[in-house]
Amino acid sequence: MTKIQKALRAIVSDKQLLFGLIGIAVLLLIILFQDVLETHDPYDYGPDSLAAPGINGHLLGTNKLGQDVYSMLIAGVSTSLKVALISSLISALIGILLGGAAGFLGGKVDMVLSELINVFMMIPTFFLELMIIAMFGNSITNVMIVIGLTSWASNAKLMRAQALSLRERTFVKSAIVMGETRPQILFNYIIPNGIFPVIANTTMGMSGAILTEASLSFLGLGDVNVISWGQMIYDGKSYITSAWWIATFAGIAIVLTVITFYMLGDGLNHVLNPKHISGGKK
Amino acid sequence: MSDKNTPFLTIDHITKWYPHNDGRIHLFRSREKRSWVKAVDDVSLTMNRGEVLGIIGESGCGKSTLGRILVRLESPTSGDVLLGGRSTAQMLREDRKAFRKRVQIVFQNPFDTFTPRDTIQKILMRPLRNYGIGASDEERLAMCREALEAGGLHPTDEILKRYPHELSGGQLQRISIIRSMFFKPDLIIADEPVSMLDVSVRADIINMLLDLAKKNNTAVIFISHDIALTRYISDHIAVMYLGRVVEYGRTDDVIAGPRHPYTRVLISHCADVDPDQARDSLPITGEPPTPINPGPGCYFAPRCFMACEGCRAAYPGRVELENGHYVCCSCIREE
Amino acid sequence: MEHLLDVRDLSITYLNKSRNVQAVRHASFTIDRGDSLGLVGESGSGKSTLAMGMLRILPENSIEMTGSALFMGKDLISISHEEMNRLRWKEIAVVFQKAMNALSPVHRIGTQIEDIYRVHEPRATKAEIHDRTMELLRMVNMPERVYRLYPHEMSGGMLQRVAIVISLLHSPKLLVFDEATTALDVVTQGQILEEVVAMEKTIEMTRIMITHDMSVVASSCRKVAVMYAGELVEIGMVRDVLKQPLHPYTQGLMSSFPSLKGEKKQLRAIPGFLPDLSDPPAGCAFASRCPHCTQQCLSQKPVLREMPDGRRVACHLVGGQKHE
Repeated sequence: MTKIQKALRAIVSDKQLLFGLIGIAVLLLIILFQDVLETHDPYDYGPDSLAAPGINGHLLGTNKLGQDVYSMLIAGVSTSLKVALISSLISALIGILLGGAAGFLGGKVDMVLSELINVFMMIPTFFLELMIIAMFGNSITNVMIVIGLTSWASNAKLMRAQALSLRERTFVKSAIVMGETRPQILFNYIIPNGIFPVIANTTMGMSGAILTEASLSFLGLGDVNVISWGQMIYDGKSYITSAWWIATFAGIAIVLTVITFYMLGDGLNHVLNPKHISGGKK
Repeated sequence: MSDKNTPFLTIDHITKWYPHNDGRIHLFRSREKRSWVKAVDDVSLTMNRGEVLGIIGESGCGKSTLGRILVRLESPTSGDVLLGGRSTAQMLREDRKAFRKRVQIVFQNPFDTFTPRDTIQKILMRPLRNYGIGASDEERLAMCREALEAGGLHPTDEILKRYPHELSGGQLQRISIIRSMFFKPDLIIADEPVSMLDVSVRADIINMLLDLAKKNNTAVIFISHDIALTRYISDHIAVMYLGRVVEYGRTDDVIAGPRHPYTRVLISHCADVDPDQARDSLPITGEPPTPINPGPGCYFAPRCFMACEGCRAAYPGRVELENGHYVCCSCIREE
Repeated sequence: MEHLLDVRDLSITYLNKSRNVQAVRHASFTIDRGDSLGLVGESGSGKSTLAMGMLRILPENSIEMTGSALFMGKDLISISHEEMNRLRWKEIAVVFQKAMNALSPVHRIGTQIEDIYRVHEPRATKAEIHDRTMELLRMVNMPERVYRLYPHEMSGGMLQRVAIVISLLHSPKLLVFDEATTALDVVTQGQILEEVVAMEKTIEMTRIMITHDMSVVASSCRKVAVMYAGELVEIGMVRDVLKQPLHPYTQGLMSSFPSLKGEKKQLRAIPGFLPDLSDPPAGCAFASRCPHCTQQCLSQKPVLREMPDGRRVACHLVGGQKHE
């Protein structure tokens, strides 16, 4: 009970986190009531091509193929969230494991992993993403995996820094003396105590993932079989003067979602700051 | 365990050197030419089963490093520690878990000894499960309850549910001792176990540690800067200065009749709670330096009020006095 | 004789959203010119809060102070901030436990001392400040070259001495040591205490030592005030109080301290915990841990009463045997 109260107080005290959470809640509600909210089937090529907003019951108009823009926006929410979630999960998982191992084990392991992290931080990720998508095809699954595989380096760097300081803490030393094995210490002590900055960073990274997916789609490397906002902008860019609504509303949707995730991430960063939640006195 | 002539614990010429980072890059310098911080420098000590050995000295004298080497949180640069005549380096290689069970440590900072994310129950159950002590989780939980009760931590159910930051330093330190004693270790290192606690709870923690040690026939190495407290609990005392043991002997011999000039200075500067005990402090100059390439000669010589020419030539050997009391000082003659 | 500092009925409460912690309750004591008082207590006793409250360096919007602290005729609790700023450092100075953290790592000690000196004496010349500092450095057995050193070139003991020197720049009437020697090594602590005591023979200085360590008080103070859970429980001459403590808490505290030379008595701890200071007990604050607790102790709060030897003790049991 007290824990829930504490969490609630933390949420209310941090405006950014509050707005972020409200934004996420709205997005989730849209996904949940997708069928109710959609006025048309977004995949259905209707008879009205390039209809302006308001015409024939198309709230935000239609595109070249007669798809309802409003319904496509609604359908795009789940695509964006899916991309954000899965790619960030991949990125967090790799980052935490590699960063944690590097920082905690030290020595040669650290040397090799640190170099790997540096390489991934330095290479132009977007270029790499383009290459991989070009080579392995542009299904939405590939897009998510590629984004995850190219964005873990900052998570790893954070986790490594955490592990480096945590392994000097008395409770890690005492776990060693209590006979616990290295994997046990990594998973029971290092990761649970050092994960919070990574969570915050990952949440912020979600907005990056959404943007990357949109960029890939915009360049024509997105999954044409799935409705996504980036894809909509890509489709709409040829009509930007004659049918502005196709790209504009998708663009606004991306901006709002990115801001939401950014606020959530930054809010989490404040609230989950080790200074706020640290256990014992120093 | 072994025959009578082998001491239970032998610390055999332990050294721990760290490369000294003086800001310059030494790519091609040989090992000999680089400068070293000699945190522990050629320390040899022995002790018997069930005894309490106090190690005193100022900060930076290497007493904590020595403690960490004994529990193998760090490995020595050279030398070995023999437990019952067997090399601990070898024991660690052969069976790490078995070695950990025999040598335990209580840390100085009880507020940081346990992970802030777990309850006391989880913290106490983990080593029991890990080592298969107790047949079932119910039995282990009962063991935890019993140990907490015996340690004066009640209501036990309440304590088990708490997180470390919800308990006081004294309570945490008791739990730390209880957890170490689950293993009935042969040797326990107590590294300043009460220096961060309030004075009025210190005695209880110390008494608990000593009682449990006596019950399990555990040898205790008590590392402290508090000379008065060490005097109360240890059978023998070793005084360290800049990584070296400068004096060793039975507690009363060392405290009441210190012979090494450093020990004499140290004790003379100790404030007593008795205002009538007029302090007659011996002169000492300077501050304890960092042990970067100390010597040759006695490390204490630059600050020593007794220093003579001979002191600066070579590090003095042991001068044996009565009852195993010895000092490393070239100004003292054997009796 | 007029007291240098006369604290009357001082209470300090930390205001929190959920609970108000009464860290200091109705503390009254006095210090004469040239005297030295050890303020002893464990963590949570309110000893630091008391001193910091008098110096007005607690966050004023989250505390509430009542009572008075007359220092040379001025009430430290009610004077304006400007007036307090004029007094601080010039008339009242503090040395903290980690005073070295207050020094800037990128400036030489001498430069920092000049800056600090000029806060109160803006027109002081370099030579003037230098001479004053040298005089003080000699008193704490430090070489003159310290003036040109950077903080990282000095050990903790030397930096603490520098902090003492800085606090003495303007010869303050009152000097407060807040655990100033706690983090130091045995030898260094002993040296500094000796230097401070010796210094008092040459310059007029009144000193409050806040510490948890009875041995510091034993070797450096004339009077001692023992605090427990925000209340003063025993005040008197060090010799009287430490030799024959009357309050059960002081007795308990004294028997928890190991002696360096005396016989090895069994060390005893005081069982139990501090009371919750957001809801202090109606009776004696120590009652729950006291071996001699009576019904009266639980219901009625004992006040400080004067004993024949001049010390004051807040305990019903001691008060009843006034002419022992």
